[in-house]
Amino acid sequence: MHAASLAAAGVLMLSCAVAAAGPRGDTARLGLPEISAAASRAQVDLGRRLFMDRRLSRNGTMSCGMCHVPEQGFAQNELATSIGVEGRSLRRNAPSVLNSGFNQSYFHDGRARTLEEQAWGPLLAPDEMGNADRATVVGRVAALQDYPDAFRHAFGDAAVSEQRIGVALAAYQRSLVAGGSRFDRWYYGQEEAAMSAEEKRGFVVFRGKAQCNACHELGRTHALFTDEAFHNLGVGIPAAGPEQWLEVRLAPGVTTRIPHALVRSVSEPPRKDEGRFEVTGRPQDRAAYRTPTLRNVELTAPYMHDGSFATLREVVDFYDRGGNPNDNLDRLILPLYLSEQDKQDLVAFMRALTGANVDELARQARAAAAQPATR
Amino acid sequence: MSPARFPGRRMRRGLLAPLAAIGIAVCAVLAPLAASADETCNSPYMRNLIRGQEDYVYVWTLGVEGMGDGSDKLVTVDVNPSSKQYGKVAHVLSVGTRGEAHHMGFTDDRRHLWAGGLDDSRVYIFDVYSDPSRPKLVRTLSDLPQRTGLVGPHTFYAMPGRMLVQFLSNSKDHGGVTGMAMFTNKGELIRTYGMPTGSGGDGYGYDIGINPKKNVMLTSSFSGWNNYMMDFGKMLQDQEAMKRFGRTMVLWDAKSMKSEKVLDVPGAPLEIRWSLNQEDNWAVTASALTSQLWLIKQDGNGQWQAKAVAAIGDPAQVPLPVDISITADGKGLWVNTFMDGKTRFIDLTDPEHPRQTYEKVTGKQVNMVSQSWDGTRVYITSSLLANWDKKGENDEQMLRAFAWDGKDLQPLFEVDFYAQNLGRAHHMKFGSNAIKAAYEPLDATLAQNR
Repeated sequence: MHAASLAAAGVLMLSCAVAAAGPRGDTARLGLPEISAAASRAQVDLGRRLFMDRRLSRNGTMSCGMCHVPEQGFAQNELATSIGVEGRSLRRNAPSVLNSGFNQSYFHDGRARTLEEQAWGPLLAPDEMGNADRATVVGRVAALQDYPDAFRHAFGDAAVSEQRIGVALAAYQRSLVAGGSRFDRWYYGQEEAAMSAEEKRGFVVFRGKAQCNACHELGRTHALFTDEAFHNLGVGIPAAGPEQWLEVRLAPGVTTRIPHALVRSVSEPPRKDEGRFEVTGRPQDRAAYRTPTLRNVELTAPYMHDGSFATLREVVDFYDRGGNPNDNLDRLILPLYLSEQDKQDLVAFMRALTGANVDELARQARAAAAQPATR
Repeated sequence: MSPARFPGRRMRRGLLAPLAAIGIAVCAVLAPLAASADETCNSPYMRNLIRGQEDYVYVWTLGVEGMGDGSDKLVTVDVNPSSKQYGKVAHVLSVGTRGEAHHMGFTDDRRHLWAGGLDDSRVYIFDVYSDPSRPKLVRTLSDLPQRTGLVGPHTFYAMPGRMLVQFLSNSKDHGGVTGMAMFTNKGELIRTYGMPTGSGGDGYGYDIGINPKKNVMLTSSFSGWNNYMMDFGKMLQDQEAMKRFGRTMVLWDAKSMKSEKVLDVPGAPLEIRWSLNQEDNWAVTASALTSQLWLIKQDGNGQWQAKAVAAIGDPAQVPLPVDISITADGKGLWVNTFMDGKTRFIDLTDPEHPRQTYEKVTGKQVNMVSQSWDGTRVYITSSLLANWDKKGENDEQMLRAFAWDGKDLQPLFEVDFYAQNLGRAHHMKFGSNAIKAAYEPLDATLAQNR
C-alpha cells in the first residue's frame, strides 16, 4: 500500500517501533536501532489478527501463532521441531519472531530477504499451513465477515489482496520490538543496579574468554546479538555409523532404551537438512544456519535450528567442547575451556536479555486471537 | 495456562429442565430393555438396547489422502451371522473432510452417535435410529475451538439428556492443557470445565468414567495436538515432546462436576473401565507409555487411591497398551498392545493382583478392542492415530472379529479397510435393528401428548 493512499484514508502513520512500545513507551526500544520501515497502527492491528487466526490454514487448525506461541517467547517450547497442518513434520525449530524486523534475512537458512516475502512462506508451505496458492488465501480472508473493517482501517478500503496480507503480517512482526532488557538498562542506560554481579561477570565471559560476540554482535549504541551470517556448528550432523538404540523418556524419572529399528517402524522417512546450502548451493554452506539473536533467549527453549538442546546450559557446554566436529565446522568454533563459574555466569547473562515488554506483546496477541470470529 | 482459561461458562440454562424431563421419560420406557449384549465400556446412563446378537459394528474411520475421497467415514459392517451380508461392509458415510477421526459415543437414548475429529475438532452427530443399517449425518459442530478454546474432542460420554465431551488439547498452543464441554443431546453447548492444573493437576485429559453409585467421575490424561498429530518416530526422538504426556487421573464429584482429588498415574493413563459387577467399586486403566495396569479404588479410610498392580507385557520394550475392554462380570480384561500387535486377556478375579492368562498376535498393529456383553465375540481394529500408525507393509488396516470360548480367539471374519479404499479403522460401536422397535412405545406416547 502506498503512503499516499494511506494518508488519503486518514490513517495515522507511526513508526513500527513506536507502535510496539505500547504503554511502556520507549523502554522497549532501549538497546535496539530504529526501524526505517513505517506502518500504521491499523496495519499492525490487522497483521496481529491475521497472525493469530487459525482460519488462514488449509483446514483451519494452524495459525502463525500456533508455532510462534506468544506465551512461549513467540517460539515453541514444547517441541524440538515443529509440526504443521495434519501433523506434517518440519525439520527445524520454530524461531522467535520477536525483533524479527531487524533481521536482514529470514528462516534458519535465510531464504527470504524481507518480512513481506517471509510472511507467505509458511502460509503456502505444504507442511506448514498448507494453502494451495496465494489466491486461495486471499479468497478465504475476503470471505470472512470479520475482516472488512480491519482492511478498511488499514488500507482505506476493504479489498483483500496478497500484497495487503503480506504488508499487514510484516507490519505486525516489525512491531514486535522487545528491548529494554536488564542488560540494556545496564549497558546502554547506565543503570548500574540493573544487572547482578553474576550477570556482569557473564558479560565479561561473553566478550572475553568465550568470544560469543564474534557472531552474536553488539555495538556502541545498540545490540542485535547477531552477525546476520551463517555458520556450521555441527549441530544436527549425525554421529558416524548407525545408532542402534534410542533412549526414550516414558514418564518423569522413567526411561528405556529401544532399538532404532523399532523407531523406524513408526517413522516416516527422514528428510535431510543441509541448511544454507539449500539456498546457495555452495558446499561451504552445508549445515550452516543463520545466527539468531540472543535477545529473549531465556524464553525460547529448546535451542539450535533443530531444537536439540533443552537448556541454555546445554548450549554453553556444547560450545565449550568446540561444537560438533565435521568437515565444514566454522573456524570460529573452538574449545573454550570455560570454568564452571564461567558457564554459570554466561547463562545468567543470557537470562538478562529478556525484553521489558514481552508479556505485554503476548497479551496483545492473545487478545487479538480472542476477537469474535464469524464465518 | 491457568484453570480459568476454560471458565465454567453456563449457556442456555433453560434447555435443561425439559431435557431432563424427557430423559426421565426415556429411562422409564426403556428400563425393561436392559440388555444382555452390548459393549461394556458404555456410559452407565446409556440404555442398552442390544439383546443377544449385535447387528452392526460402526467403525469411525480415518480418511487417507489419495484413498477414495480421502475423507473420514462412518463405516457400517454387518456382523449378524444370520445376515446375508455377514462380515461385509453394509454402508459407508463420508463426512467430506479429513480431520483425524477418533472416538465415538452414543447419546443416553442411543438414538444418536457422536463422533469427533482430533485434528479439525469437528463433532459429527449421526442418526443411528431411523435406519441402523444406514446412519445419517444430522448435525456437524464445526466451530468448537472458537467457542470453547478446546481442541481435539475425544471421549463422548452420555449423561442424562446430555453429552459430556472430553477434549485433548487447546487452541492456544496445541499443548495438553484442556477441558471438557457439556452439550445437550441435540448439540447445543451448555458449558465448559477446565481440567485442574492446581494441586498436582497437569491439566491434561483423555477419557471419562463415572460410577453413579459412588457419585465419582474419573478422568485420565494423554497429550495435546502437538504430540498426537506428530509422526510417532519423530516424537519418540523429541525430548521436549516426550515431556508432554499426562501423568494424572482426576477424581470428580460427578453431580457437581467439581474436581476433588488428583491421582498420580504417570505414563499417560488412557481408557477408564469401572467394574460392572454390582458388588464392585473399582476401576482400572492402563498407562500407555509405562505399560502398567492401574487399579483405582478406595482404601481402608475411604480415600480413593491409584496404584500400579501389574505390568502389561515387558514395559522396557514399550508394547504400548492402548484400548482395554472389561468383561461384564468384572473378572477379566482384554488389552491390546499396539507395537507387538497382541490381544491379551488379563484375569481380574483379584483386581489387586491381575495376571495375564492369554495372548495372541491379532495383527501387525492393533488398537481398539470391543467385546460383546456375553464376552463370546471380540472385535479389534488397527489404527491408533494417522501419524502414529506403522509405516510400509506393517500398516495394515482392518476390522477383525473373533469368537472367544474362554481359551482361544478364533477368527470369524475380517474386513480389509485398505483393500476397500476406506482408510484407517479406529473406534467401534455396536448397532442394532431392534432400536426402532424399542422406541415405538415411547414415540407413541410422545405423539399422543403432542
